[in-house]
Amino acid sequence: MSEKHPLTNMLANKMQRRTFLKWSGAIGLPVIAGGIGTKMLVERNKEAKAVSTKDNEKIISTCSVNNCGGRCVIKAHVKDGVVVRVSTDSQESGDLSTPPLRACVRGRNYRRMLYHPDRLKYPMKRVGKRGEGKFKRISWDEATRTIASEVKRIGDKYGPESRYDNYASGQCWGLHGGSASVRKLLSLTGGFLNYRNDYSSGAGNVATPFTYGTNNSGSSFDSLLHSKYIILWGQNPSEMIFSTPYREYLMQAKKNGARIIVIDPRYTDTAIVFADEWIPILPTTDNAMMDAMGYVIITENLQDQAFLDKYCLGFDGEHMPDGVAKVESLKSYLLGENDGTPKTPEWAEKICQIPANKIREIAREYAKTKPAALIQGWGPQRHAYGEQIMRGGAQLACLTGNVGKLGGWAAGTGYWNRSNIVFPFSYDNPVKASIPCFLWTKAVEMGTEMTAADGLEGTERLNTNIKLIFNMAGNMLINQHADINKTRKLLEDESKVEFIVVSDIFMTPSAKFADILLPGTTFFERYDIGIPWCFGDYVVFGEKTIEPLYECRDEYDVFAEVADKLGVKEKYTEGRTILDLVKESVERTRKELDATFPTFEDFRQKGVHHFKYDGPLVGFKEQIDDFENNRFETPSGKIELFSKTLWDMNQHDEIPAIAKYIPSWEGPEDPLKAQYPLQLISWHYKRRCHSTYDNQEWLEEAAKQEMWLNPKDADKRGIKNGDRVQVFNERGSLLIDVKVTPRITPGVAGIPQGAWYTPDTNGQDQRGSVNVLTSQRPTPLAKATPQLTNLVEVKKA
Amino acid sequence: MTVTIEPLHIQLQPYLLARKKFYQLLHLLFSMPANVDALFEIKKEVTFKELLGQLHEGGKILDDFFQHLNLEQIKREQQEFQRLFIGPGPLGAPPWESYYRSREQLLFEEWTYQIRERYHRFGLQYCKENNEPDDHLLLELEFMVYLSDLCLFATKDHRLDKLLATQISFLEEHLLIWIPYFCEKVIENTSSQLYLGAAMLLEDFLSFDLESLVEVREGLLLCLKNIH
Ligand code: SF4
Repeated sequence: MSEKHPLTNMLANKMQRRTFLKWSGAIGLPVIAGGIGTKMLVERNKEAKAVSTKDNEKIISTCSVNNCGGRCVIKAHVKDGVVVRVSTDSQESGDLSTPPLRACVRGRNYRRMLYHPDRLKYPMKRVGKRGEGKFKRISWDEATRTIASEVKRIGDKYGPESRYDNYASGQCWGLHGGSASVRKLLSLTGGFLNYRNDYSSGAGNVATPFTYGTNNSGSSFDSLLHSKYIILWGQNPSEMIFSTPYREYLMQAKKNGARIIVIDPRYTDTAIVFADEWIPILPTTDNAMMDAMGYVIITENLQDQAFLDKYCLGFDGEHMPDGVAKVESLKSYLLGENDGTPKTPEWAEKICQIPANKIREIAREYAKTKPAALIQGWGPQRHAYGEQIMRGGAQLACLTGNVGKLGGWAAGTGYWNRSNIVFPFSYDNPVKASIPCFLWTKAVEMGTEMTAADGLEGTERLNTNIKLIFNMAGNMLINQHADINKTRKLLEDESKVEFIVVSDIFMTPSAKFADILLPGTTFFERYDIGIPWCFGDYVVFGEKTIEPLYECRDEYDVFAEVADKLGVKEKYTEGRTILDLVKESVERTRKELDATFPTFEDFRQKGVHHFKYDGPLVGFKEQIDDFENNRFETPSGKIELFSKTLWDMNQHDEIPAIAKYIPSWEGPEDPLKAQYPLQLISWHYKRRCHSTYDNQEWLEEAAKQEMWLNPKDADKRGIKNGDRVQVFNERGSLLIDVKVTPRITPGVAGIPQGAWYTPDTNGQDQRGSVNVLTSQRPTPLAKATPQLTNLVEVKKA
Repeated sequence: MTVTIEPLHIQLQPYLLARKKFYQLLHLLFSMPANVDALFEIKKEVTFKELLGQLHEGGKILDDFFQHLNLEQIKREQQEFQRLFIGPGPLGAPPWESYYRSREQLLFEEWTYQIRERYHRFGLQYCKENNEPDDHLLLELEFMVYLSDLCLFATKDHRLDKLLATQISFLEEHLLIWIPYFCEKVIENTSSQLYLGAAMLLEDFLSFDLESLVEVREGLLLCLKNIH
């Protein structure tokens, strides 16, 4: 026998470790053959062969629709259905009517985001306790069936006001997306509880209209080319972008000779690049500086009296609304005629820590250099009394007559917008009740007890608390909302919110609280049109670059399936796919808004459309040029430095009729400072867009999560650069590495916002997620977030 | 008496069949432990203990595992499977070649293409091509099963030689480069006997398989030379 098998024999002698085969040779085939159930490798589709040659790299122009304010041209280099590389707008700079829309550092990471191994890939249902993070893979059919039946069950049991689509901004600046889809579905099946306002400029959005009648107090960026003096008050476009080409215009303004001042508790990247001077200020004290600037301006008679007389209500005793004492005027307040405290620079210095003479200097420069633009960022108004800050900036713009003039700027919220497209996917919610978005946790806990005093509108009372939450591509469910520990307890109680649906592309802290977790798509995997926040004369085509990966699906399609199960699919889609929506938007934009808008094919091919204008848009120009025929949209038709409406609310301490400095709880004058001596702020970090991309390793290399602390404060605590520290207050505690740097004002600690909440077993956050320390106490008027108002202590961990 | 020498491919049948089964078994061990019957059948039919003699730690662990197999245990393994290989969230041991070979630990990197090429050359493609990466562990194992199956039916010596060469290079250029890192990750991140044992067995077997394939091929070439 052996001679018949020379090869086998040779092997038997040579091979040392034959056990494997002797052993596996003895296994019965049926046992293991069953293993490879369905074959995954199938006979190759012959047609596909022709396309798949070696060098067929295609460049596809698309657009990210996250919430960074910018919108950029993202070029996907696609080969054989795979994105092999990402580049960005290659158009030259120079022509400011068509500025290049180049990606920032976050954009360099987009391919990594797309093919990151941690992508959510399949629908899941929760199997452990809520928030524990235990899930089981399920089919799409089961997922949509469960959602449909819970939408119905909870709607039937508690009424439509029990259903809520939470504020979310992961993927929001397009034509469709999670929230739009959910809202459409809920609207067609009885409705849902609305929210108003946002977490970005929440206080400002409500306050600015009391002065100007609108939030559109900004001017187009090209107007800055005419400015001689620019104050960026708490604005940091170098990191949070604001609008992709904004920095180009700022740079050009600087080249044109504008002097640029940055007022900020931190020496920001914006200050480094643009500022002639950095004015460090203590958080929450902006109005003290503003008041003192006003004081200097009027005591040195630098105000634009003609402007004030003609356009403004409430500057002095001669221009007060009926029935209000003269001594309530802005001028009286600044001079201290009413409260006995003149708002002198020396008074302000004690509060905001800026030397009195510096305040004088800035006030004089701002009042004398014309035109001057005081542009307000929104960080300062995410404060206990954020409303005052936005009205305070507007007040200075009026004192100096910089409103409605080319190169000036009206301050306040500062939206501007003149380039629009049609949004064809809309909904009509039969429920009219609405809450301020920041108070959603309150509406979960005690919605039925909320009243107008809590900002409830559209109804006297709610019939139910929130029982069902859709959280679509957002992290506000836990990470980005204030007071994580409080929110966590609320969500963990499964009897309060009975059902939570989350859709996202990664396992965020919010996703952990899902009952049903849906894998969403990235912008590479869907059609869309990217629109910059409110600012910018451009839109970017979002081409679907590749088919959705894994079992990921666009929310529009997911909720079409849910709608089908609830019998309203036709009404939901009106027969349209996402691509149809994009086409319809373009066609209707051409028909209804702008005949010069390109056709769908042109737009698709160019990838971007720049709207062209003859000149800059100047906020309130019509009113200022022709006041007789164009009044402000306020009750008096004038700019209301003094608002009678606010006065009549009769809460003068916290909601004054003119902008005032109000010492803030957990501000520098709060006695709590004895226990928690540092003011903690947060900022939009260049490596993240809010909390989006926190799990991206590359970006962490670009800018690590760390807390800024001034050397004076660090020394006092024996803390050295790079040390790991514990930051804590009554609400929570976190660990983070410290960067000891003079780039932050003494007395202030700064943690970049958006790090993903990562608690250890004791609930102490390990990642530096700032919202374990922030408060849910809303601002008095807008009921907006005060998330930059916190006192903390820091010690070595 | 004249000795009729059996054709080489016939002589190799037991060897080829045994490796095919081994790959099938590995594939089964790394598949979602959903088929409860199959697992119990393994418990009944397969005695991992016999691997013990040769210091195969993996065999010992698996033996232990299967001896104590019960429904509760299978449920736990299903959760563990999901945690290690499916998600949601960061995976205990991402089961894709690209992840271990790309500098950036991404999926759909050039190795995914290389693997795809290999499938295409054999007229195969992943049924979810471009939707999920082609270089998933289970696909690469399925490919090895496929190739070893082809060997079983290869009656021409040079065809057999080519198939052996293909598998050698697939092992050398792919599986054996990333599987050690993958197994390391599994071993680091799990206390499941099933996956610990399977990972050890996988790594051991692959290096053994390469060694034996090389030797078989050398032997084959030698015999061919003697014959002709
Ligand atoms: S994060 Fe914003 S600015 Fe940066 S690349 Fe993306 S869209 Fe552009």
